[in-house]
Amino acid sequence: MTWNIAHRFEKAADRHPDNLALAAGQTRLSYLSLKQLAQAVAAQVKPALRQARIGVLGSRSIEACTAFLGIAWAGGTYVPLGLNHPDQRLIALFELLELDALIVDRAGVARLSPEVRQAAPDLILVPRDEPGTFAPLDSEPLTAELPVSDHPAEVGPDHLAYIIFTSGTTGMPKGVMVNSRSIALYLDAIHPWYELGPEDRAAETCEANFDLSLHNMLTAWSAGAALFIMRPLDMVAPARFIRAHQITTWLSVPSIVALMRQAGGLSAGSLPSLRLTWFCGEPLSAQAVRDWSAAAPNSIIENFYGPTEITVAVLRQRWDGEGPLTRERGIVAIGTPIDGVEAIIVDAAGQPVPDGIPGEIVLAADQCSQGYFKLPELTAEKFREFNGRPGYLTGDRGYRDHTGLFHHLGRLDNQIKYKGHRIELEEIDARLREAAEAELVGTVTWPVSGDVVAGLAAFYSSGTLEPEQVRARLRQLLPAYMVPDHLENLAEMPLSSNGKVDRKALVAMLDSREQARAAS
Amino acid sequence: MTDPKLDTLRQTISTMLAKRGQPPEFADEDSLFDSGRLDSASAVSILLELESVFGIDLGDPDFDISQIDSFAEIRQLAQSQG
Repeated sequence: MTWNIAHRFEKAADRHPDNLALAAGQTRLSYLSLKQLAQAVAAQVKPALRQARIGVLGSRSIEACTAFLGIAWAGGTYVPLGLNHPDQRLIALFELLELDALIVDRAGVARLSPEVRQAAPDLILVPRDEPGTFAPLDSEPLTAELPVSDHPAEVGPDHLAYIIFTSGTTGMPKGVMVNSRSIALYLDAIHPWYELGPEDRAAETCEANFDLSLHNMLTAWSAGAALFIMRPLDMVAPARFIRAHQITTWLSVPSIVALMRQAGGLSAGSLPSLRLTWFCGEPLSAQAVRDWSAAAPNSIIENFYGPTEITVAVLRQRWDGEGPLTRERGIVAIGTPIDGVEAIIVDAAGQPVPDGIPGEIVLAADQCSQGYFKLPELTAEKFREFNGRPGYLTGDRGYRDHTGLFHHLGRLDNQIKYKGHRIELEEIDARLREAAEAELVGTVTWPVSGDVVAGLAAFYSSGTLEPEQVRARLRQLLPAYMVPDHLENLAEMPLSSNGKVDRKALVAMLDSREQARAAS
Repeated sequence: MTDPKLDTLRQTISTMLAKRGQPPEFADEDSLFDSGRLDSASAVSILLELESVFGIDLGDPDFDISQIDSFAEIRQLAQSQG
């Protein structure tokens, strides 16, 4: 048996060669065409494989998807870098990763500054005119045909299928390493209840460097279904996109619902084509799910929970029209584990607690990831065996109720979700220290509306630098979504009794200013 | 011949780019959104301007949102309504 994640795509392509596999803008690719493009990419990267890690600088494009399949086909490790890292961070990632090759989409080409190119691997594949085809940068086109493999490379269950980076408290993102077995177990566990088929039309709602994009590609392409890429502009009007392409299955972060509600694109009965919706990545508010349910009356709605570290998602809860809810937060419960996964609530000493008592959510499953790339200490801290299986300490607070349902209560640390991104506030702090040349810094979520973070505010104590100077520097160090909306130089930073910056006091200060403003 | 309304729109886009820490200059054919230079909030602002200043009907079922990726496309769309 082969564990290559491209194998499921290959089987679907053999069964449905003429089905639509991938669409973006005006471009449409059948399964056969996409397979041939993936084979061509595989042929181009295979001779370069040493460590097997291949980066993709791109997102939401035919080229980024073709690169993903081609890397898998060649037996490589897919490393999606997205497009939102500023140059310095991208260069630091290249140095960390020691990539064998880099594949770039059209938007990614614009990111190849001289500095980035110098840090990038020797082999850089850039798009040619024909969608999904590539040529080595600055090289003569090959005169001889490269040998094409008819089938995906044989790999074992421990082959590293992908590395996805997520925010890290040290100031650098950390790479979560997921092997082929984990992905296979995940897909097998969820298949019985989603049952995608060749008639389905799925939407790619996520950036390539978010693991939900892998869920979207792999579930669609295991089933012979069509995947419609939402380009950045399509994200402005998702309802229009769903209607235009008669999308039947949808997985996204819930914050898209709020965006659609604001834009007035979520009227009752307006999304009749949807039959299945998954929400994942953030708390799903009761209001959001009710609005969606009214707009998409034919759709089952599933709340899906799980950090990248445990491979996409591992708990699910179907919306029954009224609940079940986590009353404390007004959100949908995270439900029960999928097959092969155990969820355990533990106390600070790591001991299981009785039902109804809050603690840390631990997830134990054979589909657990292998830990963080080149971070053995952090891996040892967060990944531990539970009940004889590999487990991950999520840092999420929750409890199991008396009916066996799990509920999510928030974080035990300063990890937050903002605009669908997972962010460690300490990562912003670390970069702010550098940008503001200040020792005392503090980042908080503000304002927060209900459970939803609506902005980031950050403070520093530095005699010299103005907020705009600091902001300009931060933009060189962090992706745009992590640069705080409000930046302020505070003469006196509030400190807690142990001498740390007091985030609660910063929030209280912002709140009281707001109240004073409202009162005046 | 330049249209003052288009000049204003060009200036708005420059300001948006600068706000995101990008060089404010852009060529007519440059990709603004697919390239990641502007985000969805900027797109909403541009769409609102197209609606209010140029009278473009965003509710028209034939309106294709992906046709505002470059200034050349935006201009074509704006002029098609003139």
